[in-house]
Amino acid sequence: MALIEVTDLTFGYGSAPLALDGVGISIEAGERVAILGANGSGKTTLAHWLAGWLPSQGSEATRGKVICRGRPWQDWPLAERASFVQYVGQIPSQQLSGQAFTVRDEIAFGPENLALPEAEVRERTAECLAACGLEKIASRDPFTLSGGEQQRLVLASALAMHPQLIVLDEPVTNLDPAGCREVLTLLDALPPSTTIILLDSFPRVAVQIARRFLFLNNGRILLDGPAGDVLLHPDAIASLGLPNAAEAAWLAKESGAWNPATPIPFSIEAAIAAFQQVENAAR
Amino acid sequence: MSTLLFRSGTSWLHRANPLTKLCGLLWAATAAFVLPWPAAFALAVVLAAWGVWSGIGGSFVRRLLLLIGPLAIALLVIHGFLMHYPDSRAFGPLAFSFSGVIHALRILARLAAVVSASFLFVATTHPADLLKSMDANGFPPGLSYLIASPMLLAGMFAMRTRAIHDAQRTRGLALDGSFWTRLRALPALLLPLVIVGLLEANQRALALHGRAFRALPRRTVLDPPSDSRGGIWARRFLVLAAIVQGGLALWR
Repeated sequence: MALIEVTDLTFGYGSAPLALDGVGISIEAGERVAILGANGSGKTTLAHWLAGWLPSQGSEATRGKVICRGRPWQDWPLAERASFVQYVGQIPSQQLSGQAFTVRDEIAFGPENLALPEAEVRERTAECLAACGLEKIASRDPFTLSGGEQQRLVLASALAMHPQLIVLDEPVTNLDPAGCREVLTLLDALPPSTTIILLDSFPRVAVQIARRFLFLNNGRILLDGPAGDVLLHPDAIASLGLPNAAEAAWLAKESGAWNPATPIPFSIEAAIAAFQQVENAAR
Repeated sequence: MSTLLFRSGTSWLHRANPLTKLCGLLWAATAAFVLPWPAAFALAVVLAAWGVWSGIGGSFVRRLLLLIGPLAIALLVIHGFLMHYPDSRAFGPLAFSFSGVIHALRILARLAAVVSASFLFVATTHPADLLKSMDANGFPPGLSYLIASPMLLAGMFAMRTRAIHDAQRTRGLALDGSFWTRLRALPALLLPLVIVGLLEANQRALALHGRAFRALPRRTVLDPPSDSRGGIWARRFLVLAAIVQGGLALWR
């Protein structure tokens, strides 16, 4: 059974054009999936459906459904759902509880709501403080942190719930390169059993986490597959561009300075290896 | 931002359970309306002295005087010299009344007792301790949220207001100058703030939902403020006394 199954999901806000139009995705447990799309392609709406934030009262799907572990989100009791799925969005200050006076209390807020034993709440809090590098600012007021620190805090708070599924909606958009690197390293270090769904506009972020890529355009899934199949598709390139490493290789290929047998690299490490191969072949 | 009036310390009052202190505040507030005014005045002085003894003296007394001082002058002038009482005696354009002064002192003593007790409570109670104490004693999580969120979100809204102010000024909206200029600009500042506030409220509600807020009737509380059987009985007694005093005040 798939971890989460989206079938023919069609949804819109009032009289605006449909945000999602017949979306169908099946995601297995432990998969690392990137759903890429330009602004306005329906990413955040889809993220809300995947995280169980939708449907809400008065905003039912026009068609289709989202089934998680065989049950629609509406059938999940709140505590069970919060322990199963966590959502991390792009504006961290909006995701703080507004109930905690310190970073430590903010992380503990979710596990406390689950009425877990005190020792377990402490353990989870300490574990997430350390994992997200927040130990030194554990006593600070969450609302006085920088954007990057807040984003790490939101991530730590999500991880403290020990979710099996994390939905990340452009989680590094507002971060500087160092903050972005920290968050990506953190995500990469999550246990393989944790399913990650990343929704982003930038392939350079997605290639560092995902193994499977989907291209969302005007509320429709147009492409689904590995990086080479999706990111090098002309529609995806036109809409999303390429990661720097892939773009350099792509330009080299167009100018005939690339061995056609060598696959286009998407990460810096793969690009270095591939360019070395090209150089060796030239000698 | 989040702990506006709190002054940290290690006094007995600082260490006391926040709910017990809250019940004490309730008792003092109702007592002020039942006691004769000299006793209410004495209660205010005792509470102020307790604040000084608890190590919050400087700012505590300053705030108290800043609030009570102008009120005292206004009440004494209005009731002692401007309002007509049966014993009013004319002094040129003014009329002095001894019973008016006594009435002003009665109001002032009550206000001073209530304000002293309130300041003493907020200056010695960290809001986080109050929330933890409420959670630990089984108060609904929604109630503690109502108390905490304004304190925590006030600073964020102040920042939003500044950003909207700057954005509107950049677009050429006149925000400085006469009272009428400022009044005319008010809708252009308030409307975006309200809209942003509503949108954020929706986002925050979803975020709280995602963290299982109010999913269960009780929640775990890390490091709740210390409590004792004596404290629990003291709270019961204080609440009962406050109810009796409140009833007496209304009956009279």
